[in-house]
Amino acid sequence: MRDALRDPANQVSPRARSLWFAEAVIVTVLLAGGLVLLSMWMTGWEFLPQWLLDRTWVAALVIGLLLIPFVLAEPVVRFAVHRWELAADVVYARSGWLSRKWVFVPVSRIQTVDKAQGWLERFFGLATVEIRTASYAGSSTIKGLDYEVAARLAEELSRRAQELRDDAT
Amino acid sequence: MPVHEPVPEAARLSPRLLLIDPIRVLPSLLVPLAGVLIAGGFSPRSFIWAALGVAGSVLYAVVRWATFSYTITGGRLELSRAFIGRSTRVIPLERIRGVDVTTPFLHRLLGLAVLKLDTGAGGDKQEGELDGITVEDAERLRAVLLSRHHAVVTPEQPTAPRDHVFLTVPRAWLRYGPLSGAYLFTPFALVAGAVGLAFQWGGELGLDEDDAVAVGEWLWGHPLLLVGAAIVLVVLMPFLAAAMYAVFNWNFVLFGRGDHLVAERGLVNRRVVSLERRRIRGYEIAESPLERRARVARLWAVVTGLGDSQTRGQLLPVAPRAAVDDIAAEAVGPFSEALRPHPPAARRRRLFRAIAPWVVLALVMYALGYALIGVAATVLAVAGIALGLDRYRSLGHTYDGTRLSVRSGSLRRAQAVVERRAVVGWTIEQSWFQRRAGLVTVIAGVGAGSGGYKAIDAGETQGAAFAAEVTPDWLAPFLKR
Repeated sequence: MRDALRDPANQVSPRARSLWFAEAVIVTVLLAGGLVLLSMWMTGWEFLPQWLLDRTWVAALVIGLLLIPFVLAEPVVRFAVHRWELAADVVYARSGWLSRKWVFVPVSRIQTVDKAQGWLERFFGLATVEIRTASYAGSSTIKGLDYEVAARLAEELSRRAQELRDDAT
Repeated sequence: MPVHEPVPEAARLSPRLLLIDPIRVLPSLLVPLAGVLIAGGFSPRSFIWAALGVAGSVLYAVVRWATFSYTITGGRLELSRAFIGRSTRVIPLERIRGVDVTTPFLHRLLGLAVLKLDTGAGGDKQEGELDGITVEDAERLRAVLLSRHHAVVTPEQPTAPRDHVFLTVPRAWLRYGPLSGAYLFTPFALVAGAVGLAFQWGGELGLDEDDAVAVGEWLWGHPLLLVGAAIVLVVLMPFLAAAMYAVFNWNFVLFGRGDHLVAERGLVNRRVVSLERRRIRGYEIAESPLERRARVARLWAVVTGLGDSQTRGQLLPVAPRAAVDDIAAEAVGPFSEALRPHPPAARRRRLFRAIAPWVVLALVMYALGYALIGVAATVLAVAGIALGLDRYRSLGHTYDGTRLSVRSGSLRRAQAVVERRAVVGWTIEQSWFQRRAGLVTVIAGVGAGSGGYKAIDAGETQGAAFAAEVTPDWLAPFLKR
């Protein structure tokens, strides 16, 4: 896509990296914890070979080790990929990590603008702006914005959406 | 009409809601509560835990009530919730299409109502809702919210005469029905239904599980009978399918009435669906490989604000392609632009996706010693070559100046033709594998039908150019030159 589309102008907040890192760590810990619980339960599974039953913790360890590079890479890659821009009354946003997603939402078609902040986002002073149209494929979620930036963007979008009166379908 | 702009201060839901909310969550709490009580052997301690659970749900209701507020200010409705996380939803008033006030039983007892906003957005999640305001507030809000709503709603007049009959489907076309694959499994469904009934009513007829087991064993002991029954069911498939299809699509008539397009069908129940013509934004044509061979197809209208569009939007039963094209041109407009093919990388991707899973399955099964399943998987892998190639041939997109069109699929090849004005946004997706192949999936967001129409595996530049061609104003600022 490098030849076809230019990058959106604005990066998300640098603190978004911490947020993504924290989220990835939480998911990994939960997953590994779940596997540890599972391995404690597995000791009763007699149909499994003995060598595996003796080392049921291996699965948790292997999964944990395999995930570490992803946990480290995800915040960095996401920070490079996630960008957004509001120009000519169109919201242009890019997101993704292993995959990529580009979304174009014209302000004249916006139906609702949500500004949301989860507890982890609140901790890092970040917020998410969700822009919705009549279609899932014309709706965009911009994560990892600085709270002030998100508030301003949401305000600006809902003000402009109101000015550009349109049937929005 | 003068509008009383309400005081622009945040309002809360009625506190009476607190009487309802815990009762509403009670059913979902019942099982865990019973579990706690039974597990605890109805000991004093288990009652304490259960009481804590109930108290928790009451507390939760109070917190939910206390942290939610709504405001109408400056021509928009703001719904905000601030607890651990904060969220605000802003809905511009002129986006509100309809306001629906309902009073569920418990609400009615307390003089409360639920006010739902229809913004024309797809899906329930995207709409706004005020659950638990007083009936008076609901009526007042409805007036305020709808006072800016200028769209003229024309009620349908069911008694008005048929203006113009587009098509009365000839009986002979009913024979195309089974080609679509619909109702093909009717015989099996009937047998399953009969078995289910036997189990349900068997007890009252003096039969029990031992009898069922005995019947099963007896059948197992007569394999010829089983095979015979299976063959009969398979032979019956097309006939029963045709019969079911005929019952549902008997005397299909498509006609115009006022500004509505009306489809009427059915032998036992006449089903009548009226589609407002000014809400029709395009159409979708679907064909199975058998239907393509017989040159027949199915047709749906893409209509804004129509839920369950797959059944309600149906304009024709399985009909000859020529008739389908005629009706599509009549209802939406003629479209004859040729589809542009997607790059060769897309063919490789279609082939890989149609073959690889079966190859992997075959290898694993051979390795594990299940040769029979391995052979079956190998056959499917070989069939995947034809399927993948056909899927690639199906891929395409185009734009003729007012309508865009995308096509994909093989076993169900679907082509959508949608008006440009229906597009509300674009999403371009690229998976990790697509990135390596230099392909993208371009999705035109449409506030009608399935919500998005995909051009699968277009080239990167091609895909971006397609979106830019349809809506140049939206894409131009972001294209590289």
